[in-house]
Formats: sequence, C-alpha cells, structure tokens
Amino acid sequence: TGGHTTEILRLLSCLSESYSPRHYIFAESDKMSEAKIRSFEQKRSETFSDSQFTLHRIPRSREVRQSWTSSVVTTLYSILYSLPLTYKLKPDLILCNGPGTCVPVCISALLLGLLGIKRAIIVYVESICRVETLSLSGKILYHFSDYFIVQWPHLKEKYPKSVYLGRIV
Amino acid sequence: FRFKDSLAEDLWRADLVISHAGAGSCLETLEKGKPLIVVTNEKLMNNHQLELAKQLHRDGHVLCCNCSTLVETLRSMDLSTLKPFPPGQPEKFALFLDKVVGFQ
Repeated sequence: TGGHTTEILRLLSCLSESYSPRHYIFAESDKMSEAKIRSFEQKRSETFSDSQFTLHRIPRSREVRQSWTSSVVTTLYSILYSLPLTYKLKPDLILCNGPGTCVPVCISALLLGLLGIKRAIIVYVESICRVETLSLSGKILYHFSDYFIVQWPHLKEKYPKSVYLGRIV
Repeated sequence: FRFKDSLAEDLWRADLVISHAGAGSCLETLEKGKPLIVVTNEKLMNNHQLELAKQLHRDGHVLCCNCSTLVETLRSMDLSTLKPFPPGQPEKFALFLDKVVGFQ
C-alpha cells in the first residue's frame, strides 16, 4: 500500500539485475501501487534491457485498526490465498517492509521451507516511519525473518537481533 | 486537488510547506530541501505517526506545532535554524543484500 510501495521501490533502486525476475505482491484493495511499480520498472528497463517482473494481488489481511479476532480470520484467508502463489513462484528471496500483506506471504514461505519444498531468505525492512516502536508486522516477523533491518538506532537497541544500516530509503 | 498523482510540482514551487505528520509528506518535502512546519494533533493521530515527526523535530529538520499554535509559530519562526535533511542511502542496502544472497 502507498507509503510501503514507495519505500520498497527505493530499496530496490540500487539492486543489480541479478535480482530478477521480480514478483510484486500487493493487496487487492490497493489502487495506487500498480502504477508506481510499472513506472519504476519502466524506468529500470531503460537501463537493463532484460528486465522481468510480474504483479500479483492477494486479499488484504487486515484493515487498519481491525479487531484482533477478525484479523486472525482474514489473515488465515490471506494465507490460504498466498500459499499456492508462493508455491508457484518459489522465491529465493523475499523482501518486505511491513504492510499486513507481507505476513501471509512470509508465513507461506516459512511453511514451504519447513516442508522441504523451497527455502527462501526472508529480509524484512521496517519502515522509516518506525523510530521508536515496531509495526505489528515487524513484531511478528522479527522472530521469523532471516534478516530484520531497522532504520533508527533506538530500534537497534530495543531489538538487538536487528540490523542497522542507517536510513536506506 | 484532493488526490493529485503527485505534489512534486507544487512542492518544487513552494517556499514553505505546512503539513500534517504523514511520513510521505514530511520526507518528500525535506528531500526537496523545503522548509517544513509539521502540524500535529495528538488526539486524532495514530501514536506511531508522531514518532517520525518527533524525531525529525529532535534532529532539527522541521518545526512542530499544533493547530492552536500554528499562527504563533508562523509569526515567530526562524527557518534558518532548520538543518538540511541528507538523503537515505539505498546503496548501503544493496551492498548488504548482495552479501546476504552471495552476489559479491
């Protein structure tokens, strides 16, 4: 969604073309991300001729301030949806930055890893907006990601297993 | 004006920006090197939205006020005290990721 998409595209801006093909997964209800992604990839294809990417929409796992119990139900529904998608894509690397959409995808990837089907490296970058506290996605994925990156020193102190590289967006 | 695709052009022409504490608004403004006054409303906002505004204020990049103190802030402000906001470094992330993945 919105700010998350802008941030993740900035994260991608300096990656080499070895990170290809890129599969973008975002919420069904998200109207603006597709345009931002296409614009980013369009520019990229001007430099890298063989640029490949795909777009996928999944049901939104949770609306802002949705209640706990209903969030569990909608997240489970999103996992049911993202599991076959993740199985199909079999990513080597998952990069996410905090929208609720990333939790079902990462859980699916973890399941596929546990089942011995495909082990993906999960890299989570907490949003630049998070200076003192982690987002809910962050709190969950802090324990399940391979690399958890924060952008402010206070968070590095609070979450010692995290990686601090300074501001990267 | 409600949902323009991009405020980039308006930002480019502005001498001063007064904004809510949304991260996108703040960062986009600071990156264009425009002076920024952030108006916060602690009652309405998510707690976390304030975090970035507070940090930017602590670091001297923005002026902060609330709706009732805005006029006073505008009267007494000294924009020369604002510090420039250095851009983020996604290249550091690329280097890190290359190591993680094994592309050296």
